[in-house]
Amino acid sequence: MPPTTQQTATTIFYRNIRWLKFVDRLGKKGAGILEYLGGLGTMLVQTAHAAVTRPFYASQVVAQMDDLGVKSLSITGITAFSVGMVLALQTAYSLAAFGGKMFTGRVVAISLVRELGPVLTALMVGGRVGSGITAELGSMTVTEQVDALRSMAISPIRRLVLPRILAVVIMLPILTAIADVLGILGGLLIAVVELQLTSQDYLNSIWNSLAIEDITSGLAKTFFFGLEVAVIGCYNGLQVEGGATSVGNATTRTVVFASISILVSDFFLTKLFLAL
Amino acid sequence: MKAELQLSSDPKPAPLVAGETIVEFDNVWKSYTHRDILAGVSLKIRKGEVLCVLGPSGTGKSVTIRHINGLEKPDKGDVKVFGESIVHMTEEELGPVRRRVAMLFQGGALFDSMNVEENVGFPLKEHTDKSPREIAELVGEKLLMVGLPGTQRKMPSELSGGMRKRVALARSIALEPDIIMYDEPTTGLDPVTSEKIAQLIADLNARLRITSIAVTHDIVAARTIADRVAFLHQGRFQFVGTFDEAARGGHPVLQEYFRAMGFPCGTGLYAAPLGGGC
Repeated sequence: MPPTTQQTATTIFYRNIRWLKFVDRLGKKGAGILEYLGGLGTMLVQTAHAAVTRPFYASQVVAQMDDLGVKSLSITGITAFSVGMVLALQTAYSLAAFGGKMFTGRVVAISLVRELGPVLTALMVGGRVGSGITAELGSMTVTEQVDALRSMAISPIRRLVLPRILAVVIMLPILTAIADVLGILGGLLIAVVELQLTSQDYLNSIWNSLAIEDITSGLAKTFFFGLEVAVIGCYNGLQVEGGATSVGNATTRTVVFASISILVSDFFLTKLFLAL
Repeated sequence: MKAELQLSSDPKPAPLVAGETIVEFDNVWKSYTHRDILAGVSLKIRKGEVLCVLGPSGTGKSVTIRHINGLEKPDKGDVKVFGESIVHMTEEELGPVRRRVAMLFQGGALFDSMNVEENVGFPLKEHTDKSPREIAELVGEKLLMVGLPGTQRKMPSELSGGMRKRVALARSIALEPDIIMYDEPTTGLDPVTSEKIAQLIADLNARLRITSIAVTHDIVAARTIADRVAFLHQGRFQFVGTFDEAARGGHPVLQEYFRAMGFPCGTGLYAAPLGGGC
């Protein structure tokens, strides 16, 4: 039996309702993303203002450099060393087919210095430091310590956010430089022990191929990665409302957002530095 | 040094006379997620008094006092502190007001990473140019006032709930404020400790000649410390008066509240001494 006019109208109505709900959800999601980005931008502007006005908590910056930077050295170092070893193995395996094993050092060094060193170090720091910042500031927010600072006429942006952002932005390039060196040494170990290359060959191959731009473009990226990790970590921490569950959720969100942000911005930064 | 410069550049308002209005709420509205928490709050707080804000949970008592130091901004209405409207002030402009209005948070809000001495000395270090030795002396003095001498080296995690509140109180009085706000000062404490904290608040108010505003559920504590009580219900102050007036015949919901707390109010029995109910 064909549907009546009323049945058709009802079907169209419900179909449209579904669409309207979908559009509504999409709109809310979009508004939420814009609000989040607006919040990050606002905090960044406030932090920039705090950076050029007094008081400046230099001792806090140094303490955070130790806590967020120096204490990340082992995790970033081990990661780089392992990646350097694996990279040497894989590269030699691929190049052996063309008789190009002696170029292993060159490939390892350029891959590490231009791309893997900065990105992997930023991802490791993003995981360790970003989540740590969110957990600490989130706990301070839910236990009213942030409000206590405000009530004592002390700016949380100046006292808590600025030192953390500066510390990460300063330390990430340093950690990356160390990671680059350790990654190359990891490759050297494999080149000598597994690939029967001399250390002289391996290092010469690097020395003859690695340009200063390779190093500077890799390190310049880490400035942006550091900024992203620290800003996301601080913002998510200060936005926590409620209790322990909210702190946990915010911490997870920081790891996810920081990782995505690093990987997406890496593409654009690579394009930018290649164009320069 | 920097803070001293800032302090000296702030024009010092004329001192208020005892009994003069020090804080004024004028038709203050505040909503969260489309729900009106404060719906036209108006109240005048006098210099030197102890005002207890009473009311059921979730009625916006804490939100109300957080307007006094600008931690919350009203959606509508005005809040005047020391005779000056603060609702349009920026965080930086609020600085001079916040240095004169201390707040004791519900859980103490001590900084986990600092020991007791660093916590209590923190506002002094930030806002004065006193030497570390002078700060240490002042910290010792404030800790003595709250009955916790010799605890300087302890970390907040080593303190009980009552001790945390006392340390937080010592931190609150470090800058010798004109107003102290207490957010649930006795909540979560045993009756004996609650009584001690209430007594401490009353003593400090008398000794330091400050204005105290306490948000509390604790009727016993309110009776110990309050010159006046203000009962917040359905977004407004439904009753403002002395504890005796409140107990004898305040708002019906307030009487219900008193009865629930074990005070047989509105019966004319409220003449009994402390501990004897209404």
